[in-house]
Amino acid sequence: MQQLEINNLRVAIGESEIIRDLSLTVRTGEVHAIMGPNGSGKSTLAKAIAGQPDYRVTGGGVLMDGENLLELGPDERARRGLFLAFQYPSEIPGVTIADFLRAAAQSRSPEGEELEATDYYAKLYEKMDLLDIDRSFTSRSVNEGFSGGEKKRSEILQMAMLEPRFAILDETDSGLDIDALKIVAHGVNSLRSPNLGVLVITHYQRLLNYIIPDFVHVMVQGRIVRSGDKELALELEEKGYDWIRDHAEEPVLV
Amino acid sequence: MSDNTAVLEHVKESEASEAQPTTRTILSGPAEDTPDQPTWFRQQREQGWQDFSLLPNPTRKDQPWRFSNVDVLNLASYQSGNLPSDHDRAQILEQSVALDGKSGRLIFANDHFLERDVLPESLRKSGVIFQPLERALTEHEGLVRRYFMTQPAALGSAKFAALHRAHVRAGAFVYVPRGVELDLPIEIFHWLADENVAVFPHLLLVADETSKVTVIEHFRSVEKTRHGFACGVNDLIAGHGATVKYVCTQRWNENVVALQINATTVERDASAMSLNLHLGGAYSRFESLSRLVGEGARSDLLALSVAHHKQEFDARTLQDHRSPHTTSDLLYKNALSDRSRTIFGGLIRVERHAHFTDAYQKVRNLLLSDDAEANSMPGLEILADNVKCSHGATSGQVDEEEMFYLLSRGIPEIIAKQLIVAGFLDEVIGRLSNSLIGQHLRDLIADKFRLDATRAAIAA
Amino acid sequence: MATQTETSAVDIDRSIGDFHYDVHYGHDAGVGLSDRVVNYISDVKQDPDWVRQFRLNALKTFLSKPMPTHWASKDLDAIVFDNIRYYLAQGTPTKRNWEDVPEDIKRTFERLGIPEQERKFLAGVEAQFDSEAVYSNIKKAVGEQGVIFVGSTEGLKNHPEIFRKWFGKVIPTGDNKFSALNSAVFSGGSFIYVPPGVKVKHPLQAYFRINAENFGQFERTLIIVDEGAEVTYMEGCTAPKFNTATLHSAVVELVALRGAKIQYITVQNWSANVFNLVTKRGLAHEEAEIKWIDCNIGSRLTMKYPGVVLKGRKSRGEVLSIALAGNGQHQDTGAKMIHGADETTSNIISKSISIGTGRATYRGLVHVPKHLKHCKNNTECDALLINATSRTDTYPAITVRGTGNSVQHEASVSQVSAEQIFYMQQRGLSEGQAMSLSVNGFVNDLVRQFPMEYSVELKRLIELEMEGSVG
Repeated sequence: MQQLEINNLRVAIGESEIIRDLSLTVRTGEVHAIMGPNGSGKSTLAKAIAGQPDYRVTGGGVLMDGENLLELGPDERARRGLFLAFQYPSEIPGVTIADFLRAAAQSRSPEGEELEATDYYAKLYEKMDLLDIDRSFTSRSVNEGFSGGEKKRSEILQMAMLEPRFAILDETDSGLDIDALKIVAHGVNSLRSPNLGVLVITHYQRLLNYIIPDFVHVMVQGRIVRSGDKELALELEEKGYDWIRDHAEEPVLV
Repeated sequence: MSDNTAVLEHVKESEASEAQPTTRTILSGPAEDTPDQPTWFRQQREQGWQDFSLLPNPTRKDQPWRFSNVDVLNLASYQSGNLPSDHDRAQILEQSVALDGKSGRLIFANDHFLERDVLPESLRKSGVIFQPLERALTEHEGLVRRYFMTQPAALGSAKFAALHRAHVRAGAFVYVPRGVELDLPIEIFHWLADENVAVFPHLLLVADETSKVTVIEHFRSVEKTRHGFACGVNDLIAGHGATVKYVCTQRWNENVVALQINATTVERDASAMSLNLHLGGAYSRFESLSRLVGEGARSDLLALSVAHHKQEFDARTLQDHRSPHTTSDLLYKNALSDRSRTIFGGLIRVERHAHFTDAYQKVRNLLLSDDAEANSMPGLEILADNVKCSHGATSGQVDEEEMFYLLSRGIPEIIAKQLIVAGFLDEVIGRLSNSLIGQHLRDLIADKFRLDATRAAIAA
Repeated sequence: MATQTETSAVDIDRSIGDFHYDVHYGHDAGVGLSDRVVNYISDVKQDPDWVRQFRLNALKTFLSKPMPTHWASKDLDAIVFDNIRYYLAQGTPTKRNWEDVPEDIKRTFERLGIPEQERKFLAGVEAQFDSEAVYSNIKKAVGEQGVIFVGSTEGLKNHPEIFRKWFGKVIPTGDNKFSALNSAVFSGGSFIYVPPGVKVKHPLQAYFRINAENFGQFERTLIIVDEGAEVTYMEGCTAPKFNTATLHSAVVELVALRGAKIQYITVQNWSANVFNLVTKRGLAHEEAEIKWIDCNIGSRLTMKYPGVVLKGRKSRGEVLSIALAGNGQHQDTGAKMIHGADETTSNIISKSISIGTGRATYRGLVHVPKHLKHCKNNTECDALLINATSRTDTYPAITVRGTGNSVQHEASVSQVSAEQIFYMQQRGLSEGQAMSLSVNGFVNDLVRQFPMEYSVELKRLIELEMEGSVG
């Protein structure tokens, strides 16, 4: 079993500290959900783990199987098996999904070894069918002119193709209608395996009806204030975030 | 309404008779000094004359004069003007009316001060200054000296800016102190009355921190055929957070050669908008320099030209971004009939450290005759990063189907054309978001159309 | 100017072309420019009298014209005409067979892969080494159709009836200072004639190689495509990296007669010491089509504005260009479209990328004179800035008369955003790969219109440039 270990992490943007002493361990085979109100630092956590240069880690560590990820560049973290499904994926004009994914897959091959084109396309089409994505999709530029649902499906397609060991889904449900949400959740569920650990970040409980988590954590003001099983999400949905603020297991920083 | 409280202040008879120097050609030397002018101003005048004499005449090979008909710039016959005749003066005073509401008004003819409506007392008390330049030179010397012609004429007319410096006498000084807002526009009229007269209209507008002001200048001729030369300069300064709107309606007669040199400085978080309506002149050149010197500054440059006969409108602009997070947006539209010509030479320049700049430039030419010619040179020089810049220039004609549709409703061709042109131009007027001035601009355009329609009717 | 040279020394790997072998030259006009040098060239080439006169007149024109520094880069003043060698050749005739090319020259072209490409996909090849073509050959089948593909020297001697009719007619000597210089000392380049109705299926290629230091290469190309005929011509250029300035100043004239089609493709990858000042123009007759595909990757300063004079009704001109200005480089490129007949159309698409202290300039001229009907021009210029020190300029000039025509020009400037790079890095791409993918994406829709062989080559060159530009 492998694990992604976040120890006493502190993250700042500019001068303001967003993540304050956060610890969490995700093992392969597990699905964790982090819920929290807007501005609680959920997305910051995702981007800091992935190595976004604007986010400054001021304390603590992030280890993947004992290796300190914080010493690695974002591309090296990705090649080690970390995947982030972005809340707002960037557009890359003129670069097709097929070419982009191929370049990403190629970057994981040993030096000097060319990716076999037929194998690559066979795999790509298989994953696309799984996610109910039309074949013509691959010749469109990455995220350019995509609808919200298309963007999110494209993120999950990339995840399926790159076969990470740990995946962070940052607000993957935002902006999706219920049909699109079901397709995306179906895609994620079909990728669940003993070799993949998933961290789902969301504001709403809704997504967790379709991606059933093993653990649920509630994040408020940069730290995890409560952890439990999937029932916690339901309770939270019913009682709202104020209830958590009032009944935090740890003191909430104000 | 502040115009109700306006006080009329006519030029006194004594002043009128005193201001009758013998006319002299403008190439014989700088204007003569008057007794109460400060020394620095006299020195400027000398300096201007020296620079004018030394600088070479422009040629078409000079990039800033590419496509321009520089041959019209023979200034030998132009001379300083006298106070117009009683008859002309009466006509001028009667016709110096444009807007229904105004904060104040100044009227000049042949570069002589004729009349003014002073500002309402409330504005005068809050420190707003609106005076003829000559008077401001003595009463507010410090302020005038600090801002008077400090910007370079960077768009080709350094020689004519120098000539202006040597001859300037008539003009307005506007100062709006910190936080003061004028609801109604300030109006300034400049008239050309006699044959071969040269005028050098000047406007110096200083809007201090967070103030708000709109100024409209009207350039007009008393009569339709007399030759003339106008060489104006205006300096607009929008201080921190100030909002300045400047509108100019140019209706010199079609034997006048006109040059207008504008420099606008926009400081931090300030906003400047200019709209120039070009209708008159044989050759009319307009240079507009907009310098965005503080973060958050915004400049809107708007212009409309309605060209007919053999008129030539020559516009040169520079959107000069010198600070980060600045925005400029230029929209120029030209409608060309007969054998007229237009030239647009514009540059967006984003300096090395002016990151996060948004700059746009759009020129649209509507060609209405087979002999009309539109020249466009939209340019970009981008030295900074994280910049959003674009420019576009199009030249086209009236859509035939649109035309046919109007004709099929029984509208005569010339009127149909004018309707389409008016629609084409209206986008620019809309940007001004001032219905009072907007309506006036529409009326002026309609006036020019009416002349063409009459001519067409007679020809038919 | 010294700093300019220093920055260009930090150039990225242009290793494909950056090698140099010592070669023995039988003919050397020496250093500097004078009547003597021009006469020397005429003597060696055994020019007919009219060519000698043409050269001497051109020299006068060249000397009388000022440097165009009032609008162009002041860097032009760094060219010292007295230090340049204007003619260098081995003095052996052009060979039809690679086996006959002297060993020391042949190995240069073998290293550049020219003979291999010829076997693979070309209808004919000409290889120029410094001043003269050393090899020139077309496939037998193409030759049998009456297609002529020879060096300019051979063209003017063996086909004077066609050559003289068009030579210097599309680009007169006095067009600009550098066309005058070329007219005085021209040597090498291609002469092509395609007879009526002949459609040459595979491209003809010329490869221009500068080998010597302090040298100026002045090839002269004249392509005449007769009624209804078609041809694609491709040129490649490289030079080793020397510390001193090298000058390349070509003149290329194209004539497309009624209904003819010419596609002219350039991939310029000169080393960073080369001043590349080239005049290219085509004359399109009725219903003819001329398309310039122009990729400028190398050189210290390139000034090149391919043009089309649309002389015949319904003729069509197109310029598709890509410029990549690396550290210390200035790509000053653009297009000219002169409409001279009704229903003519022109299209200009220009994409430029500025990296490091690189500067990309677009200059355009579109002229639609009066009384023409239904002429159309479309111009699009897009610039991509990579670093905070990069620069881009756009200077178009558009004249339109009359009511029958429509012209539109659009330009935009954009950046590769940090967000975009991070997104790609998160997928496992290095910063350099991410940058290169973005840049390739930026030029992609344009590159798709290029022939396959060239788009692959171009992508590879862009990747090389970009990988050197980050980190």
